[in-house]
Amino acid sequence: MSEIVLRGVGRAFGATQAVQPTDFTFPDGSVTCLLGPSGCGKTTLMRMIAGLDTPTGGRILFDGRDVTGKPARDRDVAMVFQYPVMYRTLSVAENVELALRDDRRLSAAGRRARVDEVLEVMQLQDRRAAGIDALDVGTRQRVAVARAVARDCAVILFDEPTTNVEVHAKTQLIRAFKQFRARLRQTIIYVTHDQTEAMTLADRIALMRDGAITQCDAPHALYDRPESAFGGWFLGNPGMNFLEPRPQGGVARFDGFPSPFRLPDGDPEGLQLGIRPERILVGPAGALPVPAQVLRRAITVGGQYLLLLRAGSATLRARTPPRAPFAPGDTVSIECPISHAAFFRHGQRLVAQPRMTEDVHA
Amino acid sequence: MDTAPGVSATHALSDPPGVGARLAALLQRRSVLPTLLLVPVLLFFIVWNTVPTLWLLGLSFYRFSLTSGRPPIFTGFGNFESILQDSEVWLALSRTFLFVILAVGIETVLGLLLGLLFWNSQRLPGRRVALTMLFTPMVLTPVAAGTFWRLIYDPTFGVLSAMLRGLGLPTVNFLGDARTAFGSVLAVDVWMWTPFMVLMTLAALASVPKAELEAAEIDRLSFLQRLRLVILHHGKFILMLGILLRTIDAFKTMDLIYDMTFGGPGSTTQLVAIMLYRRAFEVFSMGWSSALAVILLLISIAFTATFIFVLHARERRKQDMPA
Repeated sequence: MSEIVLRGVGRAFGATQAVQPTDFTFPDGSVTCLLGPSGCGKTTLMRMIAGLDTPTGGRILFDGRDVTGKPARDRDVAMVFQYPVMYRTLSVAENVELALRDDRRLSAAGRRARVDEVLEVMQLQDRRAAGIDALDVGTRQRVAVARAVARDCAVILFDEPTTNVEVHAKTQLIRAFKQFRARLRQTIIYVTHDQTEAMTLADRIALMRDGAITQCDAPHALYDRPESAFGGWFLGNPGMNFLEPRPQGGVARFDGFPSPFRLPDGDPEGLQLGIRPERILVGPAGALPVPAQVLRRAITVGGQYLLLLRAGSATLRARTPPRAPFAPGDTVSIECPISHAAFFRHGQRLVAQPRMTEDVHA
Repeated sequence: MDTAPGVSATHALSDPPGVGARLAALLQRRSVLPTLLLVPVLLFFIVWNTVPTLWLLGLSFYRFSLTSGRPPIFTGFGNFESILQDSEVWLALSRTFLFVILAVGIETVLGLLLGLLFWNSQRLPGRRVALTMLFTPMVLTPVAAGTFWRLIYDPTFGVLSAMLRGLGLPTVNFLGDARTAFGSVLAVDVWMWTPFMVLMTLAALASVPKAELEAAEIDRLSFLQRLRLVILHHGKFILMLGILLRTIDAFKTMDLIYDMTFGGPGSTTQLVAIMLYRRAFEVFSMGWSSALAVILLLISIAFTATFIFVLHARERRKQDMPA
């Protein structure tokens, strides 16, 4: 159990700043997902915490202990890699036990009990004597997780553990992850670019972009109230719709909204309105305030439809319930609830949200 | 009459049944051109390799002295019988095996240690210079190396003797003394070929996936565990290859010793290759030395077969592994 504190930790490769100087705290016993697109520096940040890479600036503290220059073996961390890393000549059980061999806190019997327990949680009991070469990638990755968990160390790091694993094994892995989470309270950092995974596993998601953590919040909070347009765009499938304002002397009109908005400082420069596709209501023509046209229709998980709509000069994506009776070419009506709209200026969320004017038919 | 290639090609285009066209068509068939390009190499190989080997094989069944002027006399397996009954041959062979085992053994251990040292000091300044310097013995001609080691070992003018004298120690006639000659020659072979094993060790280490080394670091494996479970698991085939190449090569050691001791003093450093050379080019008993050469060839083939077997073992492993 350990609290991890980053103080100005950054990493430059030559002229490229892979990780901007970052101040951040990973609370003791929490699961934090580092989420972001490829190349955003999330893996580099994790590797510095693991001790596999050295920061070019700043300090890393584990429970107040400075570990910045220390090698990985002195940090009491376990790690699961993107590719399942196994000791090929050993069996499954031996692989799990290997990292425990030098643990003086455990007796031989205690070690065996620990291995048995972990193998059970990972549903690997029946493969315990199997050689690694006989296992598929997904099972190997579960062995890797078992090995990391068995150590019972302060911090476990996951570096995109499901990326190279097929779908079924992925769900198995995630289930196993949740199970061992229920039993053990270790500080976990989980790097992923898969938002669904981050949403399901994390206590908190740290959203990363261009080497910096742009926002850190509970999954639903991050989803509902992204601090940046990037967060709105990156989270969700598809991400937020973004609308550009048409200024009209002090007020700004957005396609999809019946009335113009009064701007806090009257300045429409760099302003964007974001709204999530599942928040847009779609009804038959005339039923809702704003008329729109269905351009395309795509079916998604669970038979829901994803509609591409044109309202005024804007195109919007909206998610509708299964079997909604709208087809391409249809004229429909929509409503974008103002309570679910977010305003951004130059990509950053506006503190003072613009208000819609009263004149509904302006 | 000579025709420029360009001319015949144009001609061929306009006149399909012409020789040029048929030649072009022949060249366009997939197998013809590659075969044609291989011919020079194959010819070279046949003239300089296959023919002499077959000649050697034939000669080994004859009694033939190059100096007597008499024609070769067929003796069947007479030469082979005489070789197998020759205690000197057996002595030279056992000496050679001892030489191979010691030289390759020491070179492997030293190479592994130095290789690991270099590998672990990747950020050390001057590493490249040190590596380059380490590899110089390997690129020297063995005869040249032999010559200057003979000078280094020289009891009167040699650097080594001068150093011993400087330390107040008695000088040693390294190459002239029957007790030290074998060891001194062995030391030069180790000096010369350890870099090769360093190179192979570095290649073996380069074949270890970085993530596995990082995992071993995270899992806090000891150095020996890391060596056994990670490094040797991935690198053992390359190392094995190096050891086998060295074995085959050490078995043929001739030039290095030729220049230092010429097999002496007595026959303490007489390896089979030296013996073969002396019998062939001092005594000129060509039939007998051909037969010995055939036997050595068979031993080399045995080594090579082992080597190929190990390589195939690697291929088999690859096929067994699930994708």
